[in-house]
Amino acid sequence: MIRLMIWVIWLGVGALMLAACVQPIQLTVQAERTSITFLISGDPADEDAYRTLVDAFMTANPDVQVEVINIPGQGDFSRRLAADFAASAPPDVFLINYRRYGPYVARGAIEPLDDLLARSAQISRSDFYPQALTAFTWGGQLMCLPQNMSSPVIYYNKTLFDAGNIPYPANSWTWDDFLATAQALTLDLNGDGAIDQHGFGVEPTLVRAAPFVWMNGGEIVDDPVAPTRLTLDSPESRAALAWFVALQTEHHVTPGAVAEAAESSLSRFLNGRLAMYVESRRVVPEFRRIDAFDWDVAPLPAGRRPASILHSDAFCMAAASPHKEAAWRFIEFANTRTGQTILARTGRTVPSRTELAEAPAFLDPGAKPANSRIFLDAIPTLRIFPALATWNDIEAAVNAELTQAFYGQISLDEALRAAEMRSAEFLR
Amino acid sequence: MRSRGLALPAASSQRLASVGWRRRLAIGALVWQGAAIVAAAIFLAPLIWLIVASLQPVGQPPLRMLNWFPNGIAWSNYVEVFRIAPLTTQLGNSLLVSAVGAGVTVVTASWAGFAMAQMPPVIRRWLVGLALLLMLVPSSAVWLPRYILFAAIGLLDTYVVLVAPALLGTKSLLVLMYYWTFRRISSEMFESAALDGASVGRSWWSIALPLAAPTTLAVAILAFSHYWSDFVDPLLLLKSAQRFTVAVGLRMLQQMDVTNWSLLMAAVVIMIAPVIALYLILQSSLRGGANLVQRIMRLDSKDDKITTEPASAFESES
Amino acid sequence: MLTPFLSGAIVLIALPALMTFALAFMRYDALTPPVWNGVENFTAIFQRDVFWIVVRNTLIFALSAAPLQALGALGLALLLHPQRRGAPIYRSTVYLSSVLPDVAYALIWLWLLNPLYGPVNLALAWAGLPTPAWLVDPRTALGALVLVAAVRVGEGMLLLIAARRTVPSSLFDAATIDGAGAWQSFRTITLPLLTPWLLLLLIRDLAMAVHSSFTPVYIMTGGGPGYATTLLPFLIYEAAFTHLRIGQASAMMTVMFAIVGLLVWMVSVLMRRWGVFDAL
Repeated sequence: MIRLMIWVIWLGVGALMLAACVQPIQLTVQAERTSITFLISGDPADEDAYRTLVDAFMTANPDVQVEVINIPGQGDFSRRLAADFAASAPPDVFLINYRRYGPYVARGAIEPLDDLLARSAQISRSDFYPQALTAFTWGGQLMCLPQNMSSPVIYYNKTLFDAGNIPYPANSWTWDDFLATAQALTLDLNGDGAIDQHGFGVEPTLVRAAPFVWMNGGEIVDDPVAPTRLTLDSPESRAALAWFVALQTEHHVTPGAVAEAAESSLSRFLNGRLAMYVESRRVVPEFRRIDAFDWDVAPLPAGRRPASILHSDAFCMAAASPHKEAAWRFIEFANTRTGQTILARTGRTVPSRTELAEAPAFLDPGAKPANSRIFLDAIPTLRIFPALATWNDIEAAVNAELTQAFYGQISLDEALRAAEMRSAEFLR
Repeated sequence: MRSRGLALPAASSQRLASVGWRRRLAIGALVWQGAAIVAAAIFLAPLIWLIVASLQPVGQPPLRMLNWFPNGIAWSNYVEVFRIAPLTTQLGNSLLVSAVGAGVTVVTASWAGFAMAQMPPVIRRWLVGLALLLMLVPSSAVWLPRYILFAAIGLLDTYVVLVAPALLGTKSLLVLMYYWTFRRISSEMFESAALDGASVGRSWWSIALPLAAPTTLAVAILAFSHYWSDFVDPLLLLKSAQRFTVAVGLRMLQQMDVTNWSLLMAAVVIMIAPVIALYLILQSSLRGGANLVQRIMRLDSKDDKITTEPASAFESES
Repeated sequence: MLTPFLSGAIVLIALPALMTFALAFMRYDALTPPVWNGVENFTAIFQRDVFWIVVRNTLIFALSAAPLQALGALGLALLLHPQRRGAPIYRSTVYLSSVLPDVAYALIWLWLLNPLYGPVNLALAWAGLPTPAWLVDPRTALGALVLVAAVRVGEGMLLLIAARRTVPSSLFDAATIDGAGAWQSFRTITLPLLTPWLLLLLIRDLAMAVHSSFTPVYIMTGGGPGYATTLLPFLIYEAAFTHLRIGQASAMMTVMFAIVGLLVWMVSVLMRRWGVFDAL
């Protein structure tokens, strides 16, 4: 017993000394190349896509080492990023949605890219869609370089449509067509009274509901630039939200709270038990790994006026980065024709470079989804959420209520009242 | 039912002789066994279900009935999970952190406990109070300041920050365990050692520590499983994926692959296996955990000082 | 020899805790330097109805999980304390659930309580009992978390078994001769002698219930549905690390510390009356 104990102590002391020795050695090895960190959030297919990009960059720039850090899950990613900034040890480069970069940009934590872009010999402002640049412009300055021009679309399982003898969605379909289709695809296959196949799946969040509000002539906030209150309770907004919520509470074409918790809509779609699922372009690399069924994309069903929402992530550089030169070279490379082609080919992005829109890397007829052109068709209709430091908080407050309304745990009016009240302090 | 089981051992020996008592005793034992088995089964069931879940083939529709293995047993899950997640690296990292943490903890906790036991009663009382107070400080209160502190001295993303709590014995409880143990050692032994010219360090090493061997085993195992289980610290303080411990690895797996319960459960089994093994070792070497708690809490008679060989003092079953 | 312990206590616990307390009175987002703003953080958090919902959740959670844990430990200790055949195995089995790492424990229960495919509901359905949606239904979610926390009774059980064994059997013999039944001797002998230890356990469980609730909430519910399972540590973590409102997070921490301190103080007053401190 005593011998065991002494042994344990020596093991501990030895390992500690070993750890102490190993650390400095690693540092000296790394000192020869500039090492930068690149923080992303995605599934394994996503991560592979960015590793392909990073490998291409390192081959062209052997003096820079890029370490990819992938934190799956948006919540975990946000916490990690915030903690890194809090410790003044932020990633040199990170990929973030414009809806979530407000807290950092408002506090001067992100390095503006105007001058670097102006001086670049490889890329220029005119290469990119102005809408994407606008989304990442804060106080007149371009803060981050957007990689994509994505928007939500409906991914559908063609095999399930065929099995039900239901025509594929037309690019011009309406809300009513959509609901009828979803109802026809919601089935109790084994007759036990429980639905085994759902027609539709969607995250009950503001970003998913917003296109429908806009299509119906409603607004999310009273002023897109300097909002003072939510306008989700206006008749047009409310009607659109009521239609959205009724998909679950009344028509039951999406999984209910219990079914969703038991198995998420995404998982159901991947396993061939859910016919239509709303997501942006980002899931394409993962969906391309599906063997069991055939799939394609359709636009969101059309309402009274065309509208959708921009999904764009950009490469941002931390103002505190000690390796800004190397960081910029990586951002620059990622947004050259070569860099964006690599990402577009993995399926991950709708390129933000206008010249690549029609390029085979994106519109490759041999790669799914066959109907990729709808992403381009949507571009003129894309809107953005207001650029506020507190936009994150507002979305979180609204989502908490909207989710409960969607699953019938509270009424829509209760949800709207609570959302209004709880977001008020962030809109001042 | 419970109170009957409780009262039975109290039956006095003369009454045991009578036949009626013997029969009641037999029935009582049977009832007790039944109740105890039910209680144990309730606590064992989650682990059995865990293992069953981890062996379901991936990609099959989830079960809708209580049915052990309708789609066959997929032992391959335990291979597959190493392919989709860097479990080998993470297990290695956890092992390193936990071993170092446990080793350092044994030294620091026993030092602190030893020193406390040598102090005059007034200071002793203060130190016990301090240790108890430290237990009540919420860990969440120190998340952020520690993070800022470690970042300031450039230790983030190293294992040093994960094992830093070992400096104060990981948890005050472990220090107190040593303190309670050492307090029971007769001070005369140290006094005579001091007269023979032994230093404090020498007394600690060659008298106190050997006598406290069972406590050391318990402290080492508690500390090891503390670092093995630690989730919030590595989640906050580590950055590079190749340094992640298995606790954070599980969370990553949960976030990454929502569709594969069986693989996630297989990873859970792999993570908990070492902890369970260590506790079983602890249990068997101490002949029932209650015995140790009883000893260190000094619930037995007050004059039961350790003066002789540790083995006989500790391992006598009550 | 006390140096590592004392310096560790100062550097790793006392200083950070004081720093948290100081930050409660500052506007601080970690990106710009802290600015003194008096009690503004407190007024801000007190004005949020979500904060009060969370305080209520935390109190409900702690005040139901901790006593349930202590009672469960007592019941199991009374059942499993005798030196009988198989007793060590039964004790080990019960104890095992308490040594599982938090993350693993939360993931296991997330699976067990899966409303459609989880074994708990499958078993309930098989027995013809109602199948609650557990973590999904706002009415049962907090209760489910309490249940999951309350099942971890291993350490408490060991403590109480040890305490129970200190009761001299001569006391029971005397009671039996006086004609006392099992229940009566439990009430008049066992319970009074165990009460100090039960209270000690209760203190520990109260503090632990609050502090250790972070991981299960983080892994199992993320605070939802709505705010039904948002407890103070999770809210604090979110405020500090997702929203970078570190001043407000520190203010909430101060409130939480006050709540836990108050609960613990109340129990410790009882303990002093029972003379538990003499044993330490």
